[in-house]
Amino acid sequence: MRNAVAALVVVCFAAFPCAASARATAVLDGGSIVFFSDTLALVARDGATLSLADGTRAHADAAYVDLKSHHVVLAGHARLARGTATAAADAIALDLDGDRVDLLDSASGVSRTTRALGAASAAEFDAARFAFPDVDDRNAFIKSKHAKITPHADVRFTPASFPTSVGSVPVPSYLYTYATGAGFAASSLSGATFDQPYGLWGSPTSLTALHARWDDGPGAALALQQQIVSGDDAYLSASIDAPFRGYAVRSFTAYRRLGARYTASADGSATIYGSTEHAGLTAAFGLAGAALDYRHFSSGFSTFDAALRTPDRPLFGGATWRLKGIVGFDSLRGGLLTQLPDARRYATVWRHALDLQVASPLMHAPLGTTLSSTFGLQRTWYAFPHHYDSLSAAASASRPLLRNVTLFAGYQGLWSSDVFPNAQAIFYPTPATPLLTPDGTPYYGYTAFSGARTFRSQNVDLQFTPNRGGSTAFRLSVIHTADFPQFNGYGRPQWEARADAKFRPFPNVGIDVGRVYDFAWGGTRWQPRWSFAITP
Amino acid sequence: MGRNALAAALELRDHAVTHALIAAAAAATLFRIVPLACDGDRLVVAGAGVLRLAAGASCAAFAPGRATAIALDADNRATPQKLTADALPAAKIPRAAYVLAPAAASDADETQLVTSTIDVTVPPRTPPGDDVYISTERSSWSPSEVRMDRVDARHFRLVLQLHRGARVAFRVTRGSFGTTERNAARALPPAHVALGEPDAHVTVVVAAWGDID
Repeated sequence: MRNAVAALVVVCFAAFPCAASARATAVLDGGSIVFFSDTLALVARDGATLSLADGTRAHADAAYVDLKSHHVVLAGHARLARGTATAAADAIALDLDGDRVDLLDSASGVSRTTRALGAASAAEFDAARFAFPDVDDRNAFIKSKHAKITPHADVRFTPASFPTSVGSVPVPSYLYTYATGAGFAASSLSGATFDQPYGLWGSPTSLTALHARWDDGPGAALALQQQIVSGDDAYLSASIDAPFRGYAVRSFTAYRRLGARYTASADGSATIYGSTEHAGLTAAFGLAGAALDYRHFSSGFSTFDAALRTPDRPLFGGATWRLKGIVGFDSLRGGLLTQLPDARRYATVWRHALDLQVASPLMHAPLGTTLSSTFGLQRTWYAFPHHYDSLSAAASASRPLLRNVTLFAGYQGLWSSDVFPNAQAIFYPTPATPLLTPDGTPYYGYTAFSGARTFRSQNVDLQFTPNRGGSTAFRLSVIHTADFPQFNGYGRPQWEARADAKFRPFPNVGIDVGRVYDFAWGGTRWQPRWSFAITP
Repeated sequence: MGRNALAAALELRDHAVTHALIAAAAAATLFRIVPLACDGDRLVVAGAGVLRLAAGASCAAFAPGRATAIALDADNRATPQKLTADALPAAKIPRAAYVLAPAAASDADETQLVTSTIDVTVPPRTPPGDDVYISTERSSWSPSEVRMDRVDARHFRLVLQLHRGARVAFRVTRGSFGTTERNAARALPPAHVALGEPDAHVTVVVAAWGDID
């Protein structure tokens, strides 16, 4: 695994020059530059200068660059020069990746030429070519004085301040990526409570970013991630996540779409304690599908699954069913069944499984109530006297109480049984001494556990959305779980209450704040937690 | 009120008296414009046309690219005014006021905030307790960027206030990269787009999730 990660790092660093040298097609300078992320509008004021890669230079009182269409409008005393050729007008419209140049003179009208700035000819006045956004600079996402534009990819602002982003400090340089390839959304970094990316280098097909992260447990961390992207069809993302306390995690994820039917993917991660790698292949046959998955751990454990699933078929009354068949194996050097004296004989254990899923349609009941449910039944047979059964059920209901208030209720249950005929006591022996929970109290009920587990939860949520045209929402939730085994301090707390508020105090800032109380868990009466997220 | 709208209301488009009435009404109206340039007595209005300045009005009052207000006198000549919230968009300036008018009039008002609604239908086997989020380029595709409001067990909704003309690319997730939506072939679909148009509505039917099936 170390070699594989090292190779990936080499590949990533090999991509750095590509990313770093991806030439900006346009450079915009101004007394002030403001950027609006919803409209992808760049506006330069107080004297704007635009330099294009083909040598064209432009100057005007103000300039607007529309990054959606890569269209430019130069406003007021506009001058365009390329080599010895020049053109001047009250306003000039041109395209970053096109040849057309429109000159608007308030006295004589519109004339048209090309980027070579040859003789201009009279043209029809197309107002849309001379649109300039009516924006309030106070609502800008980024303020700067210098912007390097790589069309269809990114803009680098030097410096950059974020007037409407609470807590964001000005930085000497900031890369904003607006490419929408699926790979730019792919991350090999694990989820974190807070993750603020900072683009270092970018191109239409790659992005190198530093991530300032914080997560429960490891705390603050710095991570470096390299993404290489081919539209929506392929990506490779590799990262090193280095917390200030604890150990670093190196990981990668890759994906490739193979025609209309197949996808291939791979991912892996490594720490000082070990590594894991996964490779997968999916295939679609109409609405049916198949998947192959292989996972390997540095401890010597590996699993393989080959699955075939039917499409969702009608059952009755709008309900649907779907069946999945799985064949695979588990393997461990030295043997999987360590409870047995001849464990080495069981280094690889094959298994097969059937998984039946039934889903009800969304049912409308009186008083505006809607109901929905799913059921699942699975049995896995192993290549020795052993099978594993599970049954799952989930139901949820929603009912609007007032125009802006909705009540939700849900139930989820999962029952499983790990069965070893005539050998149950070997694999689930009765403990000789009572099991101790994290707070030190004995858990006598555990002696009843012999492989059958139960997970049940009920929840009630009240959602209040005061203004349907806005982004504000409040939610109160109460969740009760009744599991077995349900340790005091392990597993899920028996009761949980949470309150979430989502609101947008400024046009470019959203806040999502939550307060959670876990009751009867971890040896305490309750444990409070905060969750907090700032969104653009 | 613009000349065309009033004329249409009175159905007296070519009547000389009506023209005078319309001109008087327009004279009392403020228009919010973005000047592109001002030279001599000519004022270039972004996305519109070229107006003539009233006698005594100075180009010094207009900064290219920065929104301001104008009023039109009886001769359709522009004078700079203090910008107020009730100023009409430049698209409402009577076409006859322009000394140089575009081939086709534009009715877009980019200052307008419009409502864009995203409705998401999730697959039946979506874990019932999970929240659904949209992820956009604004947060470098953070998978838990904006939490959607739950409508019922299978439907989620998010109402966005966008500037007219905005274009927001987004993907649907359950809060992490591993739970990003997939299409029926279990491949990553292209990003969806929410548009800043009046009453814009995007419906997304999630075929599958990255971590289920």
